[in-house]
Amino acid sequence: MSLAIETIDLVKTYKHRGGASNTVVDNLNLQVESGEIFGFLGPNGAGKTTTIKMLLGIIGQSSGVANVLGREAGDIEIHKRISYLPEKPYYYEYMSGLELVVFYASLFGIRDNDRCKELLRRVNLANDMNRPLSTYSKGMQQRVGLAQSLINNPELLFLDEPTGGLDPIAHIEIRDLILQFREEGKTVFISSHELSDVERICDRVAIINKGQLVAQGRLTDLLAGGRVEVTAEGVSDAVSQSLRHENRTVSFKDGRLILDAPDSDDLNGMIDALRNGGAQVVSIIPRRKRLEDLFIEAVAEDDTAKGRQRGRMTDGNSDGTVSTEVEEVKTGEGESS
Amino acid sequence: MNAVLSIARTTLGEAIRRRVLLVILLIALLLLVIAPGMNGLTARQSQTVLLSLILGVLQLSSAVIAIVLTVYMIPNEVERRTIYTILSKPVLRWQFLLGKYLGAVSALGLMIMLMTGTMIAVFAAFQGPNVETLASLARVAMMYFVQMCLLAAVAIFFSTFVQPVVNFFLSGGVYLVGTVFGSLFATIAESQQLPQAVRVAAQIVMLIVPNFGQYNVQNSVINSGAQIVGEGIYYTNLAVYGVVYISILLLGAMLVFDRREV
Repeated sequence: MSLAIETIDLVKTYKHRGGASNTVVDNLNLQVESGEIFGFLGPNGAGKTTTIKMLLGIIGQSSGVANVLGREAGDIEIHKRISYLPEKPYYYEYMSGLELVVFYASLFGIRDNDRCKELLRRVNLANDMNRPLSTYSKGMQQRVGLAQSLINNPELLFLDEPTGGLDPIAHIEIRDLILQFREEGKTVFISSHELSDVERICDRVAIINKGQLVAQGRLTDLLAGGRVEVTAEGVSDAVSQSLRHENRTVSFKDGRLILDAPDSDDLNGMIDALRNGGAQVVSIIPRRKRLEDLFIEAVAEDDTAKGRQRGRMTDGNSDGTVSTEVEEVKTGEGESS
Repeated sequence: MNAVLSIARTTLGEAIRRRVLLVILLIALLLLVIAPGMNGLTARQSQTVLLSLILGVLQLSSAVIAIVLTVYMIPNEVERRTIYTILSKPVLRWQFLLGKYLGAVSALGLMIMLMTGTMIAVFAAFQGPNVETLASLARVAMMYFVQMCLLAAVAIFFSTFVQPVVNFFLSGGVYLVGTVFGSLFATIAESQQLPQAVRVAAQIVMLIVPNFGQYNVQNSVINSGAQIVGEGIYYTNLAVYGVVYISILLLGAMLVFDRREV
């Protein structure tokens, strides 16, 4: 599979007056495969939008490499093959939906009103395309934004918070459109806080925190390691004792046994043990690891590691062992991501 | 060029709908209409006073419109994030900036045309349809338009690196120096009694700050005795001066904007 986006040790540092500097993106290594929906996650201020701006060539990187569709980010030729929908865009309100899409089409030299109308129909704005944008709801604004981003039939779409602040129906509509893009073979790079959406539609994700990558991979791999909860009635003490294990918890509620075990455990074996012991299995509930858990885990672990690093650096200042301690922590982070 | 014209068209469409500009325009039109009445209140009821008044209103309101129109143009695009949707398309930064400038200048042209039309109608209604004077008024308005194009270029140049409020005062200051104090700096630069350093400083100011004052050709209309010698050449020179200065300012703006992180 070819790479639609690749960054190698990408860094963005802002220098302030007085010599201070702020590294917003720190040695970021991303690989986005062609034809996939890629979720780019991180808390506020993690460096997501800055990364997107660098990939679009709107701002330059301080160091490192950013390649988009096999070329250096910012190459004007690449702009003909990509598109971008920013977070909460505010368009020229005096224009109608159709005028807006016609305007963006003209930037590509496209003069095809029928195509513009077709795109507006595709995003369910057929009946509203001649209304001024000032009368559009948030969901409609987002849909017209998607229509403008499709005008050049892009191979790669950058969507910054595409479902942010939308009602549930608008949410579903946008989500379905994004899934359609994948079916058409487009690559979609989504930056979002809506973890449930990302979990539903993305093939792979990357999580960044304070500019650094803390996790990247296929969702199925990253979310592996869920648990399963088995509830049974009439379980004897001997059977419950036999089920106890290092990674399992066994508890009783209202006379029922509740067994919580990793989903990698031998589920059939546990059920057989219960039934052979005369117990009645009432329910088996798989507790899949959620993206939210992964996100919080990854960010919290990273914050803790950085906290330790800062602590060691502070200690190091007094005893002169800064560089060794910091190096150790950094190596550890590199392995975990 | 397609992209430049599309951006210019959009900028024009937006500018002519901006409420603050419409309010300024409305006030200017109102002042132009009531100017003959104000003239009636003065002791000297003459054509000179009326001409001074209406041309003053036209110039001042054009300058305010030019500055207000351009200082917020780039910052607004960044704040609304529309700039990102445009620059992520195959549009170069210089094309974006040139499109914004041409849109602003078109809007300015429309507004000045509207005010000039009103001014000429008012003057004709109260002083009679003297074709020669009316043509002279149109010529003065034309020079004001070139002056405002230059002012808009100054404001757009500053807008690539300063905040709108600072830009408002900066552009206004440059206009004031270039209009009112131009002759003062010229006198200082030529005065042999002043120290060399002061004269050089005055010459530098004159070199950097565009000479807006030379576009104020209203004297030839207001004072019937005053006349411009070699009118054709004079106006051509003014136009060339404006085009050169505007080109330099836009080139500077493009260089700064190309490196700016938005």
